[in-house]
Amino acid sequence: MSSYLDILSVLLLLSSFVLMANKRIKSHIRTFRFQSAMIALAAGILGVNSLIHEGRVDLLVVCAVIIAIKVIYIPRLLHRVYANVEYKVEKDFFLNIPILILGCCMIVVFTYFALSKTDGINTGTENMRVVNSVSLILIGLFFMISRKKAIGQIVGFLVIENGIFVTAMFATQGMPFIVDMGMFVDLLSAVMILGIMVFKINEKFDSIDINKLKNLRG
Amino acid sequence: MMHAVYALIQIIVIILAAPLVNGIIRKVKALTQKRKGAPLLQMYFDLFKLLKKSVVVSDVASWIFRAAPYIAIASAVAASLFVPVATWPESQGYAGDMILFVSVLALGRFFMMLAALDTASTFGGMGSSREAMISALIEPSLLVTLFTVALIAKSTSIFQIMHFTAGVGIPLLHPVYILGFAALCTIIIAETSRVPVDDPSTHLELTMVHEAMILEYSGRDLALMELSASIRQLVFITLLVNIYVPHDQMIALYGLSGFAAIAVSLFVYLIKVVLVSILIAVIEVHAVKLRLFSIPNLAALAFIVSFLGFIQYFVLGR
Amino acid sequence: MLEAFHNSGGQGTLFWVSIILYAAAAIFSLALMKNPKVCTLVSNGLCILASVFGIATSIIDIAIEKIHTDLYVFQSAIPYLSVDIRLDRLSSFFLLCLSVLVLCVSIYAIGYVSHYFGKRNVGVLHFLYAAFILSMIFVMTSGNAVFFFVAWEAMALLSYFLVIYESEKEENVNAGRLYIIMTHIGTAFLLIAFMIMFSYTRSFDMFGSSAAIPAFAKNIMFVLFLLGFGTKAGVVPVHIWLPYAHPAAPSHVSALMSGIMIKTAVYGLLRFVFSYLGVQNTWWGVAILVLGIVSALMGVAYAFVEKNIKRLLAYSSIENIGIIFIGLGIAFIAKAQGNSLVCGLALAASLFHCLNHTLFKGSLFLGAGSVHFASGTKNMEELGGLIKRMPVTAVLFLCGALSISAIVPFNGFISEWLTYQSLFANILPGHALINILTILSVAVLAMAGALAAASFIKLFGISFLGLPRSERASNAVEVPGVMNVGMGILVTLCLAVGLFPMAVLQMLDRVLTGFAGISILPQLKNGWLTAFSPLSISGNAVSPAVIAGVFAGVILAALVLIRIIGGKRRERKVGTWDCGFESLNARTQYSATGFSKPVKIALKILFRPSRVVKTEGDLVYHPESIQYLVGIEPIFERYLYDPISKLARSISHKIKYSVQTGSIHAYLIYILLTVLILMFYNRIA
Repeated sequence: MSSYLDILSVLLLLSSFVLMANKRIKSHIRTFRFQSAMIALAAGILGVNSLIHEGRVDLLVVCAVIIAIKVIYIPRLLHRVYANVEYKVEKDFFLNIPILILGCCMIVVFTYFALSKTDGINTGTENMRVVNSVSLILIGLFFMISRKKAIGQIVGFLVIENGIFVTAMFATQGMPFIVDMGMFVDLLSAVMILGIMVFKINEKFDSIDINKLKNLRG
Repeated sequence: MMHAVYALIQIIVIILAAPLVNGIIRKVKALTQKRKGAPLLQMYFDLFKLLKKSVVVSDVASWIFRAAPYIAIASAVAASLFVPVATWPESQGYAGDMILFVSVLALGRFFMMLAALDTASTFGGMGSSREAMISALIEPSLLVTLFTVALIAKSTSIFQIMHFTAGVGIPLLHPVYILGFAALCTIIIAETSRVPVDDPSTHLELTMVHEAMILEYSGRDLALMELSASIRQLVFITLLVNIYVPHDQMIALYGLSGFAAIAVSLFVYLIKVVLVSILIAVIEVHAVKLRLFSIPNLAALAFIVSFLGFIQYFVLGR
Repeated sequence: MLEAFHNSGGQGTLFWVSIILYAAAAIFSLALMKNPKVCTLVSNGLCILASVFGIATSIIDIAIEKIHTDLYVFQSAIPYLSVDIRLDRLSSFFLLCLSVLVLCVSIYAIGYVSHYFGKRNVGVLHFLYAAFILSMIFVMTSGNAVFFFVAWEAMALLSYFLVIYESEKEENVNAGRLYIIMTHIGTAFLLIAFMIMFSYTRSFDMFGSSAAIPAFAKNIMFVLFLLGFGTKAGVVPVHIWLPYAHPAAPSHVSALMSGIMIKTAVYGLLRFVFSYLGVQNTWWGVAILVLGIVSALMGVAYAFVEKNIKRLLAYSSIENIGIIFIGLGIAFIAKAQGNSLVCGLALAASLFHCLNHTLFKGSLFLGAGSVHFASGTKNMEELGGLIKRMPVTAVLFLCGALSISAIVPFNGFISEWLTYQSLFANILPGHALINILTILSVAVLAMAGALAAASFIKLFGISFLGLPRSERASNAVEVPGVMNVGMGILVTLCLAVGLFPMAVLQMLDRVLTGFAGISILPQLKNGWLTAFSPLSISGNAVSPAVIAGVFAGVILAALVLIRIIGGKRRERKVGTWDCGFESLNARTQYSATGFSKPVKIALKILFRPSRVVKTEGDLVYHPESIQYLVGIEPIFERYLYDPISKLARSISHKIKYSVQTGSIHAYLIYILLTVLILMFYNRIA
């Protein structure tokens, strides 16, 4: 089982690299969908494992919720938002792609360095997984910084959330059920609000470039 | 029981002697101006006549105005209990505390200042506000002076202080006491409304302080106010002479005791009071009335002198 | 709650009853909001009842042998999140002051609040009032620093809402804003001190040991506590909120704020510094003493030139806090030098003055409220002649003024006497600096005493005596009896405490033995007249009751003698002497501004008075109108707070353009960098 999880964690990290390399918003959403599916799979594997050994079903429920929300609902919502705002070809990032990818690599190295002495998670394979998932969080943040358009921000935010979720799942083999559910509710409402905000920004500035929000400063 | 008798003697002596001090001062001033001047006992006649006259009260005045003279006399008489005029035997029970002494005097001043405001007269307000300034400026030096002698005697009881300095020999040979004496002289001039701080003999609005406050009084109320002012003056003089020029030692030298000692002591005390009155009169003759806003300088001088006295106590030791 | 009853003795039950009653008062006042009359009666009635229970609690607690009683202990799983309510004798003493004041203020409020009926929501006022009292009780009884902090914050917030209760006036809102800013700055200092406390001892227990805290940290904590509590107490130079906030609140609340809220700071200093940290260095006491001296002098100086009645009282609170701090400073100095006799004496003086100030400042603020109630103004220049229109209020106010001016036989004198005595006892050969400071304190106390008396002569003389200066003043009528009852109880207590100080001192002795382990009773001897009247310290004795007797005797003798000599009093009533011009009226009276002018000029270093004369018209000597403006320079605002606020404004202006750019990306970069730095720190630490 643990080898599947290792592969999944690497795939997750890789997906975040892919995300960083994407230029188009549609492919951002697609990559996010792929990443969420990976997480659902990981949750499913852990869920089956805990069902067999301890008879718990909560992780399977979590898996189902992830599929429902992150794989199906949110990507759709984002597509719809994107379709409704006026399409403009604009340069979406500050730095060019290779530098961004290099930055991501450095984040992974840094995370490895930062976590290498932490007690409890640097034993065996678990170490690698946690490093990967913490890197995922930081890369999500980095992604938000690198993108100008509002939908990019939402995706980055979602990646951060994914990273946090995966870190928690790998480190604790499944958090208390109520915590997971709470996170999903949070996430859902956040994404919905952000979606509305995108409309508003578009309406106000004729663009979804959040750099224009600077003008709001008093 | 003896305490009550001593207290009564004390009160009677002070009340009877107080107007005399004013008489002496006026007489000396008149003589220096080559005038004959009023008789020494003039103030007694004045008071007696005033008591018999009817009272004119402003229709604005409230009960404060009518009560103030009685409270002023009560405060002055109560304060006189704190400063023994003579060596009372076994008078430990006197227990006069100097802080209480100051507070008792403050009661009289409080009501006098209120009464001045009570008649809606501009003069009253003027006197009252000037008195406020003078008292605020003089009070620190008074307490510092008293504290210094109290520290030397290791007690704040005025009786204890007097008792202690009586054993010193001639205190005025010591710098601490000289400075204290000088400070207290200045304080007395300010507290009793004498030239150069105030001029008791004129009614000019530029200079009046104490007279402005009691301007609306007449008849028996005025008599009480005048009497209490002169008692206050005598109380301060007593404080000065009995702390800085004690005479108990001398009495003890002659081996007197009992009522004979008291009688001699009283006599010596009265001589000292007369001498100090003449001293005050001489100061008055030679000084000019200060501008009101020069009084802070005088007060600062008094404070510095008293403060130096305090420092000397520690520098030289006792 | 049941364990709570179980854990404590009789006073515990009483304590909880009073707490429940206060809570009920708060709830009922919200529930009955629709009917202001019933609401006022019910809410204040419950508060009166509660305060009676509070008085009983504290008296029993001081009387019993047990030094402190746990009333309620709730230990949560997380170690420092516990609620711990304890009563020891120090808490009980402050609780007693609070309860006595609340009793009188609540009686007074029944009448006073009626002028808000139909104008403002009275229910909210009563709710805030009861909740404010509750928060103060918890400040005084908490045994855990976190809980103390929560209660302290609640107290600050609730009093803030009370300050801005009359929110339609712009000045009140400004006063509230200044108050909340200053009080939070103070609270920030306290928070840092508590954090230091926790980081060394791993505990928030206020009754625990501070042995684990190293000396330098204790010094830092002392400074933080002094600043934090000093801000609440209103010592100069962090006093600027007090003269604005206290007058802005409704008068009965001002009485509470000035009477007891600022004393919680004294409680805090005693609890956290004196008892928890232990006094280590002499300079601690010197710092407190210097603050006390400065506050006493500045407070009274500003009080004297003030013409708003309530603001004058607020400045006078600063002066009295200064006197309390002088006592505290001496106590700290003596403690640091191991002179426990002087320490006990000074503590007694300081606590006694706390009680006295509660009584007389409470009554004076209530009196100011009565004047405002009757005339609708707090400005002395519009008042005058009230003694004929409000005779009872006038007498009560006069007694309050006599008390605060430290005049025998009222209570203010006793604590001032004790303060002088402790200063006297503190002058010992060998400590040059301390001796000079002590004698300066004596001078300052003397000057403050004289100026305080003058301030209250001015306050009483201008507002109550003479002719009315405005329509409002001449139309004033006596306030409802219930208001005078509330004020009357306080004034009676002032006189009673002044006449029989030994009763209070015996109580204080128990408080001090319980709290500091020092007994002062051996120094206090009973004299010959009554067991309770004379007090004497090492032979220095005063007996206020005897002095009062002498006063009465002399007055009686004077009356009798004059009657014998001069016969019956014949009185003629005529107008005040007007120099023959026949134009005396209210405008020719001395004004409040005029009254304070000599002092203003004499102390011009402090006041920096300004004068502007503007004339209109062509003729120099016959102008059409003259405008004459006098003012004093607000030194602290101008030279301390203005530069600080200017600096803060310019820094924030710069930050606006360099750090707070408004760009989301910049903010995200801050977050990323922070996370990275934290991870890095975690790795290398």
